Amino acid sequence: MTMTDFDTYFLKYHPILLLFTRKFIEDEQQALDLVQEVFIKFWEKGVVSQNEGQVKSFLFTSVKNNCLNYLKHQKVVRKFEQQFALRLKELEASYYLSGEKSLIEQEAMKKIEVAIDSLGDIYKEVIFLSRIEELKNSEIAEKLHIPVRTVETMIFRALSLLKEKISSKTILILINLNQLKK
Amino acid sequence: MKDPELTENLVARFLNGECSESELNELLAWAMQSNQHQKDLLDIKDIWDASLPDKQNTQNQLLYFYKSRYEKSTRAYLLFLRSVASIAALLLIGLLIRLTIYSNDPVNPANLQVFTVPLGSRSNVLLSDGTEVNLNSGSKLSYSNNFSKENRIVSLTGEAFFHVKSDSEHPFTVQTNDFDIRVNGTQFNVCSYREDIFSTATLSEGKINLKLNHSDRTQDVKPGEKFILDRKSKNFTLNTADVRQETAWKDGEFIFKNISFPDLIKRLERWYDVKLVVDDPRLIKYNYSGRFKNQETIWQVLDALKLTSPIDYKKTTFREFQLSYKVKLIN
Repeated sequence: MTMTDFDTYFLKYHPILLLFTRKFIEDEQQALDLVQEVFIKFWEKGVVSQNEGQVKSFLFTSVKNNCLNYLKHQKVVRKFEQQFALRLKELEASYYLSGEKSLIEQEAMKKIEVAIDSLGDIYKEVIFLSRIEELKNSEIAEKLHIPVRTVETMIFRALSLLKEKISSKTILILINLNQLKK
Repeated sequence: MKDPELTENLVARFLNGECSESELNELLAWAMQSNQHQKDLLDIKDIWDASLPDKQNTQNQLLYFYKSRYEKSTRAYLLFLRSVASIAALLLIGLLIRLTIYSNDPVNPANLQVFTVPLGSRSNVLLSDGTEVNLNSGSKLSYSNNFSKENRIVSLTGEAFFHVKSDSEHPFTVQTNDFDIRVNGTQFNVCSYREDIFSTATLSEGKINLKLNHSDRTQDVKPGEKFILDRKSKNFTLNTADVRQETAWKDGEFIFKNISFPDLIKRLERWYDVKLVVDDPRLIKYNYSGRFKNQETIWQVLDALKLTSPIDYKKTTFREFQLSYKVKLIN
């Protein structure tokens, strides 16, 4: 592996690996460290006269393992506090380790952006305020003059709609492929 | 949890990190009930996570990676010592050049204590002589390492409220870009931002003596008076001022009476660390009075402006708003 190859992989996968890590690790610095470790391993093992598919799967698998190990360790360190949060995160990390692919791993973020754009205005605004503005649900409620409960319901509905839109698109692509085969 | 809507709300709170420990437990129990529940929850969270905007600077991370690799390898291999030595030599040359350039500078920056307050926040400093200083957004207070009860000199850019510990033998001096203030023991507010047209000092208690830079003029200021210096023309006036209004910011309040629109915009920008772009000259001629607390968000402040004046606003980028003129229809 030359340095340029490494740079290319780093520039391409570091942002999405970090995004993926942040699914389970709230602390940004910690997440950065975990991703860094994976790239060190990648560098040292010289995994990479292999093709990009194998590289990607190495990177993601290592990151998932690192996260899960970190969470398990945290559970021991923090004996009582945040146990439920940690267990939920652990559940999530195991889910992706067992072969489920996250939208991030599928590099489907662009698709989500398009899907968000196609939502109704009010849903779009709620998603914008919470994701881009990083407002709390209560702050959104105040801003839009609606009850917090309604904001929460809207967030859930908006995400459910996105889920449908994204999965139906995938299905659409599959159907098209099948038709092509015929 | 029988009511699906309750679950929806719970999930939404969980996503935004607003669940209590017991709610998390409730959610966990729900997710463990069936694989479908688990899948629903995690798929929704997946969309949520994947829609987070990318804020990382990858290039910097890559540099960081190489740097940490490099540091590690220099420890491991003596062979690298030669290149380290050459780099050290380069650094040394650079340092020497720097030293020669800066050696004329009478104030050695290494001997300076500096407090900087970023835009959007405020801070307090307690000095070793017992003087209390409240610093407003975007301000910088510095003093030399040999600041002591006998040697009381500080420098300020920005806005600060001083509660100076009384000591008639050793005066306390605040240096700004435009004037020095000498006091014995008083409370006063100084506002001297580099980008402002005016520098001001308002006295709430005691007595201060002000000396203009680059001239020998001095001026005494009495309680309740506000000294206003036009920074360009160097002309100044003394007005009676509402001290409470001038110093309300230190208690997290913002009171303003009849201030000009550009002045208001500048204060809001500092206070909230946002950029407000005004593109309509019609807005400039308005004067504003009002009062609000710092806990209020910029959205609320702008909403209030929108209600009371012919202003409309629109968010343009992350921390930037555009203000425009909107004719108000009176029914």
